[in-house]
Amino acid sequence: MFSVKPMKPTFKSYLPPVQSDVKKTIEPPIKKLEPKLLPGEIVVNEANFVRKCISVESSQDDLWGKLICTNFKVSFIPQDAPSKPTVAEMMKLNPIVVDRVTRSASCSVAQKFQLSHLLLGEHDIPLTCLEHVVTVNDTKGKKKVLGSNQKLKFNPTELILYCKDLRIIRFCFDEAGPESAKKVCLAIAHYSHPADLHLLFGFEYQGRRYHESKAERLNTPVRRGGLQTPIFDRRSEWDREIKRTGASEWRVCSINELYNISSSLPEYIVVPVSLADQDLKQYSIFLTGNRLPLWCWNHRNGSALVRMASVCDPVQQRKIEQRIITAITKSHPQCSEVFISDLDKCLPSIQDIQSSFVKIRQICVIDPFEESEERWLSSIENSRWLEYVRAFLKHASEMVYHLDGRNVSVILQEEEDRDLNCVVSSLVQLMVDPHYRSLVGFQGLVQKEWVMAGHRFLDRCNHLKKNDKEESPLFVLFLDGVWQMMNQYPAAFEFTEAYLTVLSDSMWIPLFSTFLFSSPKQRAQYLMDFARNKAIPQGEDPIVYFPPVWDWSQQFSAKDQTLFNNPMYVGKGAAYVLNGEVKSFRRTKKYGSAYRGASATLRNGLKGGEDPLSRRGSLGSELKAEFSPMKYVVESPSERFFREWFSRPADQQGLLLPQLTPSHMALWKLYFLRWVPEACISKGGSITAYHKLSQLVDEIEILQNHLRQYKAPTPSGTPLPSPKGPPADQRRMYFQAASPNDSPPEFLSSSFPFTPVGNLCRRSIHGTPISKFLNGARIWLSTETLANDSL
Amino acid sequence: MEKSGSMDSLGSKQSSSRHPSVDSLSSSERSAQVKPSSAMLSETATSAEFSPDIRVKAKIHAKQVLRDSDKEEPQLLPNEIVQDMAQDITYFCPFTGAVRGILTVSNYRLFFKCMDREPSFVLDLPLGVVSRVEKIGSASSRGDVSYGLVCKDMRNLRFAHKQLDDTLRKSIFEVLMKFAFPVSNGLQIFAFQYGQVFPENGWKVYDAVSEYKRQGIPNESWRITKVNDHYELCDTYPSTMAVPVNIPDEELKRIAAFRAKGRIPVLSWIHPESQATVTRCSQPMVGVNGKRSKEDEKYLQAIMDANAQSHKLFIFDARPSVNAAANKMKGGGYESEDAYQNAELVFLDIHNIHVMRESLRKLKDIVYPNIEDSHWLSNLESTHWLEHIKLILAGALRIADKVESGKTSVVVHCSDGWDRTAQLTSLAMLMLDAYYRTIRGFQVLLEKEWLSFGHRFQLRIGHGDKNHTDADRSPVFIQFVDCVWQLTRQFPAAFEFNEYFLVTILDHLYSCLFGTFLCNSEQQRVKEEIPKRTVSLWSYINSQLEEFTNPLYVNFSNHVLFPVVSLRHLELWVGYYIRWNPRMRPQEPVHQRHKELLAKRAELQKRVDELQREVTNRSASSSSERAGSPTRSITPVQTFV
Repeated sequence: MFSVKPMKPTFKSYLPPVQSDVKKTIEPPIKKLEPKLLPGEIVVNEANFVRKCISVESSQDDLWGKLICTNFKVSFIPQDAPSKPTVAEMMKLNPIVVDRVTRSASCSVAQKFQLSHLLLGEHDIPLTCLEHVVTVNDTKGKKKVLGSNQKLKFNPTELILYCKDLRIIRFCFDEAGPESAKKVCLAIAHYSHPADLHLLFGFEYQGRRYHESKAERLNTPVRRGGLQTPIFDRRSEWDREIKRTGASEWRVCSINELYNISSSLPEYIVVPVSLADQDLKQYSIFLTGNRLPLWCWNHRNGSALVRMASVCDPVQQRKIEQRIITAITKSHPQCSEVFISDLDKCLPSIQDIQSSFVKIRQICVIDPFEESEERWLSSIENSRWLEYVRAFLKHASEMVYHLDGRNVSVILQEEEDRDLNCVVSSLVQLMVDPHYRSLVGFQGLVQKEWVMAGHRFLDRCNHLKKNDKEESPLFVLFLDGVWQMMNQYPAAFEFTEAYLTVLSDSMWIPLFSTFLFSSPKQRAQYLMDFARNKAIPQGEDPIVYFPPVWDWSQQFSAKDQTLFNNPMYVGKGAAYVLNGEVKSFRRTKKYGSAYRGASATLRNGLKGGEDPLSRRGSLGSELKAEFSPMKYVVESPSERFFREWFSRPADQQGLLLPQLTPSHMALWKLYFLRWVPEACISKGGSITAYHKLSQLVDEIEILQNHLRQYKAPTPSGTPLPSPKGPPADQRRMYFQAASPNDSPPEFLSSSFPFTPVGNLCRRSIHGTPISKFLNGARIWLSTETLANDSL
Repeated sequence: MEKSGSMDSLGSKQSSSRHPSVDSLSSSERSAQVKPSSAMLSETATSAEFSPDIRVKAKIHAKQVLRDSDKEEPQLLPNEIVQDMAQDITYFCPFTGAVRGILTVSNYRLFFKCMDREPSFVLDLPLGVVSRVEKIGSASSRGDVSYGLVCKDMRNLRFAHKQLDDTLRKSIFEVLMKFAFPVSNGLQIFAFQYGQVFPENGWKVYDAVSEYKRQGIPNESWRITKVNDHYELCDTYPSTMAVPVNIPDEELKRIAAFRAKGRIPVLSWIHPESQATVTRCSQPMVGVNGKRSKEDEKYLQAIMDANAQSHKLFIFDARPSVNAAANKMKGGGYESEDAYQNAELVFLDIHNIHVMRESLRKLKDIVYPNIEDSHWLSNLESTHWLEHIKLILAGALRIADKVESGKTSVVVHCSDGWDRTAQLTSLAMLMLDAYYRTIRGFQVLLEKEWLSFGHRFQLRIGHGDKNHTDADRSPVFIQFVDCVWQLTRQFPAAFEFNEYFLVTILDHLYSCLFGTFLCNSEQQRVKEEIPKRTVSLWSYINSQLEEFTNPLYVNFSNHVLFPVVSLRHLELWVGYYIRWNPRMRPQEPVHQRHKELLAKRAELQKRVDELQREVTNRSASSSSERAGSPTRSITPVQTFV
């Protein structure tokens, strides 16, 4: 009754009208559909006989069930509970594949390989993850974006949820009661706009969890909840960082204890030894947000990376800045000059970044697939996202030049020192210090340069949906920058792009202390109040009662967490260096060297007198000398620094610089396209390489395990090592050594470990007449003479 | 200026008598000396012959004509002779600026070396890549004469030398022009002189009968015909072809009269289970009057009937429908669905060779020498190169999908059936048949769908021909290799070969070092005795397979590739088109790391084995009284490659 009339174009709809053929008699069995609730979670509203749309083309694969709104999430409980994708759903994903999927009957295998979240079901969306709650009445042609406490003047026939993790989920109410449909929509809208921070579900959940798991903790008490990631809320952690980097002319200062000086700085900060507490107190008055300069990192050569806010008093500006610079200079072993970079002047603003993100999201997930296909490249360019990612990487590379190439200390200056500085300082450190390319190092870096440095996660994420103007995806931009580095140096990072993606998704789950607050002081206060309200004993570590995201066991099983491990990683602890007898990392003599500046004696990558078979067809040798000194081209010192660096083979455990030619900036497809069914490469994508590498590394680790067992002093009679290697739950690799007869991994796709099934599907390529799909082609060929086609 | 070889001594017919350096190479005969391909048909060689155990590490002790004292000279290939050498030549490198050095031209290559630099600057390229040599402007005030070389491999080179005092003397660039365009100058292409001996004879990689046998042909529906044994039915088709059983050779001749250039529908590939086929041909000669041919209609019906699974036949016309219609004016056209019942005609909207040539030219403009910092993506879009790639892949995907999922036979043609048709059938076959994704299988695919079916390599590339404006030139094959590269990007573990393999093929498409890509048809190759007189590129590649192997390769049986044909996943092949730019450092290769891990595993395995042996020996000698053999628990660790 709702869907017969065509939709009136009163708003731009990206969806075709619902087909009327859904009116086939559906008599849903009355079955109790119970949501899976977390401790402290309560159902606030629900509607029965709701249809979750799986595909636009037909409704036959849609799921029927109950739509529930709780104080934590929107949940959908399907009637016939195939909680994982069915063959029918996979068909929608890519009709072409189905035939083979069914033939090989391995779809049941597929299920166990999906990343499963411990706190969220497949059809669950945390309320904080909702970007827009849109209600539609397609008979009346009405659409409304719902906010908090709003009225809805029409009965919704559809609910479309636009999520911050880029999913788009659509529900239809054609069989649900109009009133209950309306109520559940309003409830979702209302509860996704919490009036206050402490109403976020984490404050309920973590309290219950703390008390419920008390017994376990008493049995196995571990320091800081067993977390290895430094939080940088303690003096000792800063001390360790000073020692690690050899920053002997810097000290930990505690004048901000109890946030006496600045609410956005951590309680312990690192400052030049030449500055006394008294000086610092005096300077802080003149700095925006009373933010004293913050030491980030020290180069082996003694130069330091420092970030600071601007001096707000123009009268004092020169004087204060000069004193700070003098102190930093004194902390440099050569007392060399200091380079100051004003980021506000040379990088896009947070508003630029936000509008760029909105555009690229529109292109990637909201616009109909074929429509955005037509001018895909220029649309991506127009969004400016890649340009911005490149700008930040480029700026960070230039800072690396000063630190490493010129051996001078660098001050990153930004008005508030809480946004752009976070991105640049952390990218610089990723480039210069391999420690941050390990998992624990990276997490510590985020703690140090984002969480403790006072990045306004609460405002930038807009968790309370109070002020859209403050919203900006700086952290995603940073993760994209990390991904670009990872894409160029796949062996340099201990973690994977799946890890980065999961980390970005975790921002929208309000259960971890990491992304909920805008400053260290706010975090401390809220957690203190929380502890008091929830009767948590004084002196308990906040990490234990309100853990950060870094305790990944909150979200994923040990097995699923192995998806974070990069099998190619060349670093400490990697299979590569476990015993010192393996050759050092090097390039193959021909393939590698012919593309790079090679030594003078090489000719076509071939040494004189070498086997002529290895001659590479005598091509490609122009490259030999590209990096040789030039007479005519005027080269700046920084150009020279980069040219020389790029002419040497990259050391995965040394300085790494990204290549920044526009053709090297790539779209982070796993992040932007994982939910788009049409963009999903079935049984393909880089994951297939990861799969193969993981299996190989797993075999290596089994062998190493054997060697260790053999080498261990075994009294005669002890059983010999079992050929199976370490138990499965201790394996580091997600994909384990398999027999060659194993069936091909049907479940792998370019979206892995995510699945686009159930996300708002648009028409697939294969289902569309190709003429329609390609109809853009003719337009730009008008100049072509048809007669020429006789060839 | 020294001249090591007089040009006058270079005759085009001397190659056989000029062997001094080759004779000293080794005692073995030139492996390239095999019978012409028509004779090969009678041999029983199958592809199984070329199993990996042939992979003997090649050791050829070629004493090069290299004098160690004279480092300005290139390391010469067998029978390569230096033709001219000039000091004081300036090369204007677009990336590092001008360099001065010595330029050497041989009958094969251009070699430029600057010794003043550390590391020394070397430029070394086969003359085959040169498309055009032009004198730029007149002598400048400083008396310099400047020459520009436009290359087929996406780069331009510019040199200058001082005005010669002796105006009668030929400039080195005139010498270069002579040897860069041997065909235009009545000389022989270097491939006919190159005498390198390889352990494997690449001319044996492809044997049509064996390949059809691999596909299960002949069978009850398809037979192998000898009607074209002397290229009388169709001079651009191979001598061995597979056609429906119930169409006699006499009828094939009548069908040939109705198809452009006599290119009748013949089998490219047959599905091992469903028997659905991919067949290829040229356009029907329908003309403005809508001419029909009963024989052709019956023939297509026979193709359909050969597949019991489907009562339909798809005809994929690669062209845009307007182009196909325009061809009627010249006697060509397309199958009307009235005449061909049960057939459905689909146009794939792929544009002709001129459009593709223009697109690649635009691409070169934006990638060489430098890439602008802004507007990269919209500039790339404006070349339409990736859109053409997409259209071709989309067409091939539709063909593969019809055959695999629809179990329906397809007929593919364009106008003549040697450009777009070759792209489509070979790409569809790559998607459908994992054999073609192996190194040798890919060679078979090229030999079959491109070389034997008459893709006009000589015309499209213009080997040794100075006529660079020839409208017949077009990057159709490059475009195909680009499509293959796109597939390897989407399925990194599905191909036995690596990117270097594809780049090497393209490099030797131009180099004129090997005979593989010479001539326009099998008939011409037989006539020119190419397999006898030249070396195959596959001899070179198959003698060092490791270089070209993708370590991530997993041979999943029955894995049909369905790529996502969307600009979201299509990328510019930076490793080929932008490789001259020093800023384009290749990405850290995943393959490299994989190779290291393989080595690591082998080493660990060895040590574990040693320890196991040791333990076994120890326990065997020391504790013979203990019950239960310890060896039982020493199951060797299973490892799988």
